Amino acid sequence: MKNGRHLTLGIETSCDETAVSVVADGRDILSNVISTQISIHTQFGGVVPEIASRRHLENINGVIDKALTDAGVCIGDIDLVGVTYGPGLVGALLIGVAAAKSIAYACDIPLVGVNHMHGHIAANYLEHHDLEPPFMSLVVSGGHTNIVNVPDYNRCEKIGGTRDDAAGEAFDKVARVIGLGYPGGPKVDKAAREGRRDAIDFKRVWLEPGSYDFSFSGLKTQALNYLNSERQAGREINVNDVAASFQEAVVEVIAEKAVRAAAEYGQKRIVMAGGVASNTRLRELISEKAAAEGIDVLRPSPVLCTDNGAMIASAAYYAYKAGERSGYELDAVPALEF
Amino acid sequence: MINILALETTGKYGSAAVIKEDGSVYCASSETEMNHLKDIITISDEAVKAAGITKKELTHVAASAGPGSFTGIRIGVTTARTLGQMLGIPCIAVSSLEAMARRVLSDAVAAGALYVVPVINARRHQTYAGAWQAVFTSDGEKQSIVSEMPEKQYMIEDLLDELTGKVSENGGKSFFTGDGIDAYGEIIEGAFDAKGIRGQLILADEGIRYQDAGSVAEIALAKAERGDTLTYDRLLPEYMRLSEAEQRLRDGTLSDKIKKAR
Ligand SMILES: [Zn+2]
Repeated sequence: MKNGRHLTLGIETSCDETAVSVVADGRDILSNVISTQISIHTQFGGVVPEIASRRHLENINGVIDKALTDAGVCIGDIDLVGVTYGPGLVGALLIGVAAAKSIAYACDIPLVGVNHMHGHIAANYLEHHDLEPPFMSLVVSGGHTNIVNVPDYNRCEKIGGTRDDAAGEAFDKVARVIGLGYPGGPKVDKAAREGRRDAIDFKRVWLEPGSYDFSFSGLKTQALNYLNSERQAGREINVNDVAASFQEAVVEVIAEKAVRAAAEYGQKRIVMAGGVASNTRLRELISEKAAAEGIDVLRPSPVLCTDNGAMIASAAYYAYKAGERSGYELDAVPALEF
Repeated sequence: MINILALETTGKYGSAAVIKEDGSVYCASSETEMNHLKDIITISDEAVKAAGITKKELTHVAASAGPGSFTGIRIGVTTARTLGQMLGIPCIAVSSLEAMARRVLSDAVAAGALYVVPVINARRHQTYAGAWQAVFTSDGEKQSIVSEMPEKQYMIEDLLDELTGKVSENGGKSFFTGDGIDAYGEIIEGAFDAKGIRGQLILADEGIRYQDAGSVAEIALAKAERGDTLTYDRLLPEYMRLSEAEQRLRDGTLSDKIKKAR
């Protein structure tokens, strides 16, 4: 407690960002420290789990220290520790979990383990202070593409998800083969702005009628085959056109299904979350489609779309208020379900 | 006053121990294999309680920093760093191999061994190992150990070559310990047999063969008394090996696909 406000320390180490934040009353960010490893992994063409784990260990304590200092608080002011315990890379997750448990034990502070994906949704509470459930959420990130009904703070009902690759993975793969490199999402987004969305006819995969699930592996294969045959025919590949057409095929399906889900469940708001939520074209398209149905679209600013400790703190705060507690036996769960 | 919490998570079973200034040790260990993260705080707290102190009375936190399981190392070192940071106490780094040598020392001496050789299995004939000589102080009582072969990654065959050479030349028995025995026991025996010195090889019993926080704590106490401590941010793992990706980057053997994307 400081100045009568409840303070949560949020810790996130599920992938390639070592991130710690202090959040007041579940809504106000007092500090948000993100130590990114992107430049380290770029030389390997993607996240290398063993290296990510090593860097998290070296970074975590300094990042905790900076988060407290930036917030102008000391550890004795902290009322709750929240930490991502899954899903994610196991070696990366366990650094955050080990640190969080040590803080909770050393300082007698309650502990709440947070599902990373719930954290992404909670990022919106930090951005939009009057946002409250219920709403429909679209969570799109490197490893996930999910449509989630959120009836209250602590319930996330997944109504659709990917059956194979996540949108972010498909972006990474295609970015790699057209030479854009890692991280794929932002690079495809940027290249696509200079390309024609209808240059190549990539297929839209809708699955069975009424399904809110996704499948991007066929599209990925189609893109790879297209590139191969063009190269074999000796034709020059227009990277921007490939990026724009491929991206369009991915985001059109996502936007359409998210809006349809919101309409069917009678939700007046779609809340976007996850790294891919900052994709320019996805935002444009979903806003257009939602407006036609009288549905609002909210999303966090780009810094809160990427992995951060603040979103974990916010999710932990609401779970804690609902009576949730984690014991010292909290473990990392790399394949944690939504 | 000294009360050190020592963590050992580099092997199959995690353990924690508190050692006091008088050398008394209070241990707690995990009952489940590779359950380090889940159990680490619980066993630490058990050791603290067994010592009859509170966590606020801890003066140092030590970790077995490796070599060993990379994941295990990280759990112990991260926990020690963070406890050190939060309790405002210094950290101590202990070599897992030296602690393994320490653990079997009295048995080795009782068996008349000259060399103590902890060997950790790193798969595909690789090991992390070292060799220590058991020595006595002038009062003929207290045992200590001095390094004879440096701690590093050895192919089991290379380690045995060098060691059996020493044994053939200087005489003296070798006392092996660690899960390297489980993996390479036949190779170890074969190497001593080949030089006709099979009688100079002793293998540690399973009861004392593996990593244990108790001997980590004993080494930590000696280090604390010498002032050989670290601030929490300086406590780092001793992996003894680059990650595969870093090794490939160094060797220039990263896959072509990745190189193209760079
Ligand atoms: Zn994420």
